[in-house]
Amino acid sequence: MLGFIKKDILMLKSNLKFFVILLVIYGMMAMEGEMDLSFLLPFMSVMLMISTFSYDQYNHWDSYLCTLPGGRKNSVRAKYLSTLLMILATTAVVTTSSLIISYVKEQTISYPDIFSSLLGVLFATFLIQSLMYPSIYKFGVEKARIGIFIIAFGTAIIGGIVSKFVDFSIESVSFLENYIAVLSPILIAIMLYVSYKVSERIYIHKEF
Amino acid sequence: MKSVLEVKDLSKKYSGFELKNINFQLPQGMIMGFIGENGAGKTTTIKAILDIIKNYAGEIKIFGLDSRKNPNQIQEEIGVVLDDMFFPEILTPTNIDSIMKDIYKKWDSNLYFKYLDQFSLPKEKQIKAFSKGMRKKLEIVTALSHHPKLLILDEPTSGLDPIARNEVIGLFQEFIEKEDGSILLSSHITTDLEHIADYITFINDGEIILSKTCDELLNEYGIVKCTEKEFQKLDSNDYIQYIKRKCEYEVLVENKKKFIKKYHYEVIDKITLDDLMFLMIKGVK
Repeated sequence: MLGFIKKDILMLKSNLKFFVILLVIYGMMAMEGEMDLSFLLPFMSVMLMISTFSYDQYNHWDSYLCTLPGGRKNSVRAKYLSTLLMILATTAVVTTSSLIISYVKEQTISYPDIFSSLLGVLFATFLIQSLMYPSIYKFGVEKARIGIFIIAFGTAIIGGIVSKFVDFSIESVSFLENYIAVLSPILIAIMLYVSYKVSERIYIHKEF
Repeated sequence: MKSVLEVKDLSKKYSGFELKNINFQLPQGMIMGFIGENGAGKTTTIKAILDIIKNYAGEIKIFGLDSRKNPNQIQEEIGVVLDDMFFPEILTPTNIDSIMKDIYKKWDSNLYFKYLDQFSLPKEKQIKAFSKGMRKKLEIVTALSHHPKLLILDEPTSGLDPIARNEVIGLFQEFIEKEDGSILLSSHITTDLEHIADYITFINDGEIILSKTCDELLNEYGIVKCTEKEFQKLDSNDYIQYIKRKCEYEVLVENKKKFIKKYHYEVIDKITLDDLMFLMIKGVK
């Protein structure tokens, strides 16, 4: 499996510069008092990983990996692990840079704020990954992107309609806030596990 | 003789194309040329052998193991070149080594880099800068660098110039002699197969129409060239197929000696695999 992780990381090596540049730009924006957008980086790392699927498809790598020992199973496992590594690495970098900026600007560091915004970003990031990966394995990158766009758009519309009819009282929101720190990691773990198992099942039976 | 590859009653149906009861065996230490026109079913058969397609009827045994039940064990021992290029273009040959040594238990980096030098392939250049021939060479080198017992090669010499083709064929012969390996090789360049193949398996329209030793084919089969009048005298049981040319008939016969004895012909042309393919596909009975 390590070979497949290496392959994905090597393919993304040239994009690391892009990440560093973005981090510097976002850092400078935060220093100037603009909004800190660096929390977008973990999410972008998933988008980058998705580009490796496109490369694989374009280069007919999928057919070839079926002929390698443990190819189908290990490549799915490697995609999930590479993504996890990318997300954790970017999260660590982003958190550190936020703390440094706050320290330099002599701002009061609010750890609960940093923690809750990170948790929110990570939840959204892993949710997208959990939905996208099985769809990519089943339908290919292009169709999966369109599918996810439709789901996101549909969810936003439904959410908008529901919010007009349902009263989200302050009590219910604060109740959620109290438990979100515990629930999110559990939900992320369940989502990832189910997504991984579905992807593995799809890919093991897929023909090229 | 022990078979390294046995294909039994392999069938697979697509809309507009079907593999019908494919049967053949590749004995250990031999090279089998797999021939047929485009779309005949060569790549589909190879994909079934390699586990790239799954839902087929029949049985495929490699090294005596069921290919569907023991894929990992089999895949450690086979080297593969596919019809399409398959390495990610932004990687370099050095990257390929770094990846493969964590995939194959017996990956031999020294051998891999020796082959890269032998074929003058740059180690640090991205594959996208390689010519089609260089990419094919890289794929062949990769297929050979984990000491496989069986090579399954789909059009490995396409895109190679004659010099590179000779080098590659030399490498395949060395693999047979030194490693006691076996090769299943599909190719359109039938002259290459005439030089190296021990067996020829011919597929047409999803069916195996012939699977024999290359010597048997090239020595026993022949082409009789005759006039219409002479052709009319032939018993249709004594030839396989014929084709009517502008001034003569070309008749494919299975047993040259028998034919000469019966019809008293002095010369029967030696057959080439190209002739055989053409007459088998385009000829009539």
